Parts: sequence; C-alpha cells; structure tokens
Amino acid sequence: MERFAFLGRFARNRGALAGALVILGVAMAAILAPLFFPTDPLRIVAQPELWPGEDPAYPLGTDSLGRDMLAMLVHGARATLLIGLFASAVATTIGVGVGAIAGYFGGWVDEISMRSSELFQTIPNLIFVLTIVVILGSTLQNIVIAIGIVSWTPIARLTRAEFLALRDREFVQACRSMGMGDLGIILGEILPNALPPVIVLSSLVVAGAILFESAVSFLGLGDPNVASWGRLVGDGRELIRSSWYICAIPGVAIMVTVLCLNLVGDGLNDALNPKLRDR
Amino acid sequence: MSGAKGSSRGRAALRLLRRRLIQAVPLLLGVVVINFVLIQLAPGSFLDLMTAENQVSDPATIELLRKTYGLEDPVWMQLLKYIWALMHLNFGFSYRQNMPVMQAIWINLPATLLLMMSSIVLAFAVGVAAGVVASVKVRTFWDTLVSVAAMFFFAAPSFWLGIMMIVLFAVKLGWLPVGGMETIGGAGGGLASVLDILRHLLMPTLALGLFYAATYARVMRSSMLEVAQADFVRTARAKGLSRTKVTLSHVLRNALLPVVTILGVQMGTVLAGSVVIESVFSWPGVGSLLFDSVSSRNYPVVLGIMVLGSLVVLAANIAVDLVYMWLDPRIEVR
Amino acid sequence: MQRKDPLAGPRASRPAHAHEAGLEARGPVRLPLEVTDLSTTLFTRRGEMKAVEGLSLAVGAGETVALVGESGCGKSMSALSIMRLLPEPPARIVGGSVRLNGRDIVPLPEEAMLDIRGKEIGMIFQDPMSSLNPVATVDKQISEVLMAHTGLGRFQARARAHELLEQVGMPDAGRRLDAYPHQLSGGMCQRVMIAMAIACSPSVLIADEPTTALDVTVQAQVLTLLKSLQAEQGMAMIFITHDLGVVAETADRVVVMYAGRKVEEAMVDDLFEAPLHPYTAGLIGATPVPGAARAERLADIPGMVPPLNALPAGCAFAPRCPRVMDRCRIERPALTEPAPGRRVACFATGTDTA
Repeated sequence: MERFAFLGRFARNRGALAGALVILGVAMAAILAPLFFPTDPLRIVAQPELWPGEDPAYPLGTDSLGRDMLAMLVHGARATLLIGLFASAVATTIGVGVGAIAGYFGGWVDEISMRSSELFQTIPNLIFVLTIVVILGSTLQNIVIAIGIVSWTPIARLTRAEFLALRDREFVQACRSMGMGDLGIILGEILPNALPPVIVLSSLVVAGAILFESAVSFLGLGDPNVASWGRLVGDGRELIRSSWYICAIPGVAIMVTVLCLNLVGDGLNDALNPKLRDR
Repeated sequence: MSGAKGSSRGRAALRLLRRRLIQAVPLLLGVVVINFVLIQLAPGSFLDLMTAENQVSDPATIELLRKTYGLEDPVWMQLLKYIWALMHLNFGFSYRQNMPVMQAIWINLPATLLLMMSSIVLAFAVGVAAGVVASVKVRTFWDTLVSVAAMFFFAAPSFWLGIMMIVLFAVKLGWLPVGGMETIGGAGGGLASVLDILRHLLMPTLALGLFYAATYARVMRSSMLEVAQADFVRTARAKGLSRTKVTLSHVLRNALLPVVTILGVQMGTVLAGSVVIESVFSWPGVGSLLFDSVSSRNYPVVLGIMVLGSLVVLAANIAVDLVYMWLDPRIEVR
Repeated sequence: MQRKDPLAGPRASRPAHAHEAGLEARGPVRLPLEVTDLSTTLFTRRGEMKAVEGLSLAVGAGETVALVGESGCGKSMSALSIMRLLPEPPARIVGGSVRLNGRDIVPLPEEAMLDIRGKEIGMIFQDPMSSLNPVATVDKQISEVLMAHTGLGRFQARARAHELLEQVGMPDAGRRLDAYPHQLSGGMCQRVMIAMAIACSPSVLIADEPTTALDVTVQAQVLTLLKSLQAEQGMAMIFITHDLGVVAETADRVVVMYAGRKVEEAMVDDLFEAPLHPYTAGLIGATPVPGAARAERLADIPGMVPPLNALPAGCAFAPRCPRVMDRCRIERPALTEPAPGRRVACFATGTDTA
C-alpha cells in the first residue's frame, strides 16, 4: 500500500510525470538507435552544413563534414546516458560505502570519512577530472571513474545521516541482540531502509554526471571514439557564425535531458516527503 | 554600535580565522598526496611527467630533478620530498611557457579571480532578488516565472549557454565582444579600459553565474516562505511595521543564512566551471592555462593548478564563513 | 458584588469597570476596547472551521480581563482577530466589530492598521525567545517600533529604548541594549517584548500566555511588572492564559471560552466562588461551593474539544458535560445574564448548586 501511495503522489506531480516520460523517450531512442539509424552515424552522407529543414531526408541538418545530425544525436544519446548512469553508479557505490561506515561506526572512522569528503569537495571538481584524465589517459573508463570520484560526497553525507538516524532504532537493536554481525546489519537491515532518499539523490547525480561529461567532451578532452552530445557541441564551435545549429541542437538535448532528470528527482523527493512540500 | 559589541565579534572572527587556517593544512596535504598518487599511477616515469615528456638532454637539469624529487629513493621519501618542494612553491618548470609553473599560474590567476568573483556576486544578487520576489508574490505569475527560469538555467550546460549568448549578442546583434578580456589595440587608459573589460566580462559572468543564481533563487524562495511563518515575524507585524520593513529587515535577514551556507559549499564547482567558460570566451585565466596544459600534456602545470585551485577554494570558504558569522550573531567560536 | 480594583491608575476617573456601564457602550463612555459579536472562520480544504463565534467582550481602562480555556478554544484566534493579525489566506473575520477607543477597526484597510498596531494596541506573545528577531539587537528591535510610530530619530530612539528597558526592570539596561536575544534569558526576553509593546503607550495591551514558557519565579516577576505598568499607564489589558492561578492573581474579570464561543463571564472572585457553567466548574476542578478555596491548576476534563469544522448540534460542551440534558444536544444555549456582570450560556444554570 505504501508503494501505491508513493506512486500516486508522484503521478500527480505533472512536471515529474512529464519529465519521466521524456526520459523514457530518450532512453528508448538510445536503445533503439541502431534500429532507426543502422548505419554508422559518423559516416559522411550529404553535403556539409545543411540547415535543419533544408533537406527532408536530414531533418536536423548536417554538420561540418556532412554527417547526419539526427543520427549523431540519437547515437549520442546512448553515450551520454550510459556515461551518466555508470558514473552515477560509481559515485553511489563510493558514497554509500563511505557514508554507511561513517554513520554506523562513528568515532574516528566517521572523522576520517568526513575529512575525506571535505577533501574531495575542496578540490575543484572539473579540474580534478581533467587532471585524472590527462595523467591516466582519456579513455571511457577513466572518465566514468573520474566523474564518479568527484560526485560521491553528497551521497556520502546523505547516507551517513540516514545511518545515524536508523542506527539506534529498535529493530537494529533487536538484530544485534540476535547475534547478527555488523556487515549483516548494515547490508541487510539498515541499507534497504536508507536507500530511498539516496536513490532520489542518485537521479540528480546522473544529471550532474551528464553535465560533467558534456563539459569534458566539449573541451575535446573526452574519449575520442565516443561521440556524446557534449562532443557534438564542441565540434560545432568553429561554425557558430554560419551554422550555429550544430552547437545549439545537441545542447538543447543535454538541457532537456538534465531538466527532465531534475523534474523526476524533485518529484521523487516530494513523493517521499509529502509533508515537506512547499505548496 | 558600542565598541564592546564590535570588538567581541571581531575577536570571534579572528578565532574562526585561526581555526579554519589550522584545519586547512591537512586538507592541502591531502590534495598534495592525491597529486602524488596520480603521478605514481601514471604510465611513464615521474621524470617523464615532471618534464612533460620533453626530451631534456641537459644532464645538469636531469640531475637536479632527480635530487629534488628523490627519484632513487623509496616512495615515501619521494612523497616527503615532493611535499617539501611544494612548500617552497616549487611546482616545477613549464617548458611551454618557459617559466616556473608557479609564475605561469600566478600570471593567469587575477583574470580567473575576477571572473569568479563577478559570477558569484551576480549569482547571489540575482538569485536572492528572484527568490525574494517569488516568495513575496508566491503562487502568482511572477513566482511561476522565477521557478521556470530557475529550472531552465539549472539544466542548461554553461558552455552551451555561453555559446548561445555569443551567437545572439556578439554574432547576430554585435552588442558585445566575442571573446577575450580586452579589445586588442587597447581602448585607452583609465575608465575606458575598465569599461572595456566590463563589456568583455558580462557574457562569461552570465554564462557561469546563472546556473548558481537558479539554485540560490530556489533556496531563497523556500527559506523566505519558511521564515515568514516564524514567531518573531508575527511580533514584528504586531509592532505595526510595514510589510516591506518586515520582509526586508526581519524575514530576509534571517532567510539569507541558508543561501550563504550553500555559497560556501559551491566554491569548488564555481572555480571548476570557470575552466569551461574561459575556454568558450577565450578568457585569459587559469582555466585557459589548464586547457592548454591538458592539451599539450604539460603535467607540472596541471598538477600545480590542482593544488592552487584547492587553495583558492579554501580561502573562499573561509571568506564565506566569516560573512556568515557577520550575518548570524548566534555563531559561537570557541 | 463589585470588586474594587486597588490598582486602578490615573485613568480611574473614567468608569474602569465595564460591567458598570453594561457590556455595551452607553452614553458618553468610550471604552478602550469593545468587541461585539466577533466571528472568525478558517477556510481550509477540510472545511470551514469557526475559530471564533459571536464573541463579545469589553475592557475598561486599567482593567484586566482574563481570557481562559483549553488550547484550541479560540482565545489566541480572538486576540489575533482583534489585532487583525490573522493568517489571511485561511482565516478571515466574518462578522462583528472591534471598537478601539470607539473606532471600529475591522473594516479598516491594512495601511490604517499599521498605524494602530504597536501604537494604540500592543501585544506580547507566548515564547519570548522565539518571538524576537535573532539577528537584531535589543536596541534595534525596540527602536524600530519607536521610529515607526513617533517621530524619533535613531539616537533619540535608542535613548528612549534605554529608558523603557529600565522601566521594565531589565538589569544592566545599558549593556543589554546591544545584546542579541540568544544572549538573554527567557525572562529578559519577555521584558524586551513588553518594552516593545508598551513603547508607544498603547491604550490596550493583549498578553497571550506571556508567562507559560517561563520559570515559576520569573513568572511572578513578569506578572508584577505587567500589573505595575498597567497601573502607571492605565492600559486596558486582555490576559490570555490557561493557568487559573495566574487568573486569580491578575484578573479583574474572567471570560471563559469553549470551542470558539464565550460560555461564561464573571468578576474573578465570583467565578471562583460560584462558577455557573459546568465547563468552568470542571476547569476549577471543584463543585461550586461558596467560600471554597480556589484550585490552583486546571483539572482534566474527560474527553476532547470537538474539531471546529464538525461541531455538534446544540451545545458544544454537551458530549463532555456532567450535567447534560436532552435539550442541550438539540439547542444551542444563548448567553444569559443571571446577575449584573455575570453571563453564562447554559441550560443548566439556575439549577441549585449550593
């Protein structure tokens, strides 16, 4: 019954619902990309710098080399979304891990965890990512891990707060008196209860990761084999005087995706905490 | 304002300053250690890194580098020597700029600080104003407008926003320059120069700052709405003070506090954001230097920027803490 | 049955005892505060809640009327209605009049109310520490009200604030001017609130549970302070409380409220000696016997105040009343005046109690 109430509240939030639908659409497009655009999107197909609407075969025009913008956009969705998801997964894993042990054990473990999260918050995040990428190589894995490394701190703080609140509840005491070990309690008992707000935060972290990855590939410092939306914007920089749509379109795609993720995240948050709603 | 009150708050501020400076040391040390770890993890040797893979044939230079960084010594010794070098502000040499790394960074720092500060000021002013308006005119058209605008600017990638602004204001309308910090050829000295810089500063500031303005607007709005329910606001109204006075003197002053807190937390991301914006607008700051150094594999500069960037963030955090202390007399510093 | 108020101040030449003039103004007498048939309703999603219904009361200069009842009975809402400080979206005054020095303030626009609040009528609240602006000094908060209503400049206002602090018995007033609320104790905060409320010598002062959040020792000090200020300035005072001990100490007259309605009114001695309404009797926790000792605390009455959007037909107290009759559940009792100055809304009144 709790689940239904939660979903009901979420559905009533029109913004969140719209956001969720759009995200679903984007995800579908990403998954089905090879279906609609079976040929390599990076192949040159037409004359360069065709404006959107000039040629009905290429509704979003072509780029500086004559590649189909729409095809690149749809394929780029995969890269962008996947990187966002994986980076968020890395951040969530680290964040939950650190937050859980900090909140559960307290004491010096907590101190060290908090100091390190402060450390990772002090280093300017994009600079950190770029440093990692330049030194260790700009492969996809490195980028995903680097983004995860700079994004875990808010998750850690939230998890820690949740664990602090749940640690002293009766059901945990009961488990302890039954002889359950710490790991069992953390993973089996507290974590499932602490997860909902963390999941909400993760959706916002995905949005942040997408913005991050876009910035890195915009600067041309991302994986050269991956044509994510940020890279598309970066590629179009030379032509802003004549064909600025090459920059505009992928940027709009990023913005819409991030916006919808934010709406969904807000909707989830409101649905979880109906008492805290503003309106 | 009696002297007694002023100096006790002044003394508390000094205590805060001292405590935060002490806390900054292990953080900086942490950054340096991370630097070191990255260097160790890199393919290639320490030497390759510190010379940016340049073929340095001069044996004297190589010998100096070996000594400075203890390349024959065990790892922990290398770490200590690395820390020692950094403490002497020796970040290495940048062959590309043909000057010590520290100097290269130092030259570019003011431009970045200017951009950072103007973005923060803009973000704060616009965000707070928008938030106040939205809360005063809650659930009306203005409130919706602010909320929608905030959503838009919160989601738009700053580099894209910058490019779109360039397309509109520089390319199409020709009102503002396309990039750089100053007009080449100079605009003449004094006031004309300042105005010239401001014209160049406008779009980068907007592109960088509007994202944060969106955050502050949202937070300010809910903070204002929450504080408006407080008991002391009811007292202020019972005294017969005008709505404006109550909103500004009583609600606003208290509602600002959470926004200032957030400001401190976001310092790191603002500095990072300026890297991208500087690239978009060819703004001659540390961000441009970083971009150039990353592209040319100029490792010493990159590492130096990471350390100095953290230093800037720490300093900014302390400044924000002091501002918060000034705003909220309840803060006790032991 | 007339109780002489030994603390009646300089304005005692005017009829200080409203009951002498009847509970409505007659002839040339202008009472500082005269509430007639005031009704306030809360319009919420869950229905309309009649927070205050048909309340009438009058207070003379130098007189203290205590407004008594359980929480949720409408005493605070009545006070806020009088001050026109209601939270406007859900709440609204739907009927009646509030005459402040003869002028009905209910229809006044907000700008006009700004001149009245803090100047002609002042109010102090329950939790003094949270009722003061945490980021402003005492000086600033008191000077604010002085500068808003009188023509005083910054420095003059500060000097006057200093005087006011001394008048309310703040120790070391000079230093306290620059203190922040979190640096003061609860009693001191309440003194600041009182200073702010009386700064412009209002004709009426409303005190909403001013001592509830304070220590017992401090309570006595604050009550004494309020009474002496009232004597000095001849203010009419409404004292809202649920503490009958405080009522006995400070009030001249008592108005008892239940579920938004007035159910009894009497001079304080009369009320304690012989409460007419079963609710009042329940509050006092003793069967009405003339000459009986007054109970100091509120006794518990079984049951709860009914929700204001689902009031029972008939008397609101019927479900909990030990003397309920069939008639009570069907018909609402109107206020009757069995003796001059005594009012009660009960069908059981008149039944022999002695």
